[in-house]
Amino acid sequence: MEFTEPAVLVLTSLADGPKHGYALAKDIEAFAGIKLGPGTLYGALSRLEDRGWIEALPAEDRRRPYQITSAGAEHLSAHLQTARHVAATGLRRLEPKVAT
Amino acid sequence: MSGSWPACLLIAYPPDWRDRYGDELETLVSDLREHGRSPVPMTFDLLRGAAAAWCRTRRGLLMSERSRQALTTVLWSWVAFAATAAWFGHDLGIYPTRSIARQIAATHQVVPDAYHVLIGVGVVGLAVTGIAAVPFALEAVRYARANGRKSVFAWMAVPLLTAGIWLGVVQFIGRTGSTAAMTGAVAWLLAGLAGIAWSTKAVVHIVRTCEFSTTTWRIGAAAATAVTAAMLVGTGATIVWGLAFRAGQGHSAGASGWLIVTAIMAVTTARAVLALLGARRPAPTPAPAPA
Repeated sequence: MEFTEPAVLVLTSLADGPKHGYALAKDIEAFAGIKLGPGTLYGALSRLEDRGWIEALPAEDRRRPYQITSAGAEHLSAHLQTARHVAATGLRRLEPKVAT
Repeated sequence: MSGSWPACLLIAYPPDWRDRYGDELETLVSDLREHGRSPVPMTFDLLRGAAAAWCRTRRGLLMSERSRQALTTVLWSWVAFAATAAWFGHDLGIYPTRSIARQIAATHQVVPDAYHVLIGVGVVGLAVTGIAAVPFALEAVRYARANGRKSVFAWMAVPLLTAGIWLGVVQFIGRTGSTAAMTGAVAWLLAGLAGIAWSTKAVVHIVRTCEFSTTTWRIGAAAATAVTAAMLVGTGATIVWGLAFRAGQGHSAGASGWLIVTAIMAVTTARAVLALLGARRPAPTPAPAPA
């Protein structure tokens, strides 16, 4: 599966511990400033669960928390490292233009 | 469903998807509404999510997850079966001794020729596995290139390197019949079994982590079915051969070896059959146990 932005946001949110749907939406809004809709959020959750990158925990009052798996953490780490490299390259190349 | 009207749109999702995530999504919609999220963008988002869920179902991704599990189970079962059958087939010509084997061949010609049946099973199984491996390998390469997953190439090299090293060293193992040469041969045989297991693990890792098209999954499913059918034939032939041999000889020489071999073949074949049947079930419901 190619990384889509919602999937990255969900994995990043789950990287510091299990969360259910609403907690995920609030956390993503807090750290990324993005209001994920419920359909988008659960679309990402279902794809990530199909791939074994997150797993469901027992439900608590109809709210089911999810946690990142070791495979999910590995894929997220690889993706973020690539993103960091791209960002660093882009910023370095923009430096002369921004400075002038 | 609750009174929250965007939640009514859950009806637009595929039934399998709704069974698995419907309650959770409905709760999330209610939570978001309670905390002031506007229902209009939520409505569009839910409709878009429903369309995406239908597309994914149509593309057969849910099917591919079941195929992925079935395929890896059949692969492990086939490898264990093949190793056992190869060992038994090798021993059949001298089973339980050369003289008795010749006697069986001469006096019990109706006894099924398990040796040649197992050879046929091996040829069919290896050919089918090799043919099915081609589209999987090509798509794994494409996936690895597209996603920058260099580790896939390393995993793909494992079976080739293992086979190359093992066959290369075999050329240098002494054939003098001395104790040292025999010990070395047995040790290298065991190393070969470990190499087969490691190579299978590598293939399973590729199948589990790469994306493949529906056509490739169908090829995999057809290959798994053919291999499982061959395993059924091989197991059946071994059972019939052993029973006929025992009835013809009237003694139990070598019975424990035959029983162990038959048990391993039967268990691995049953695992493969159950995996294929499981892949044909209507829909996966991976919900964990309730709190």
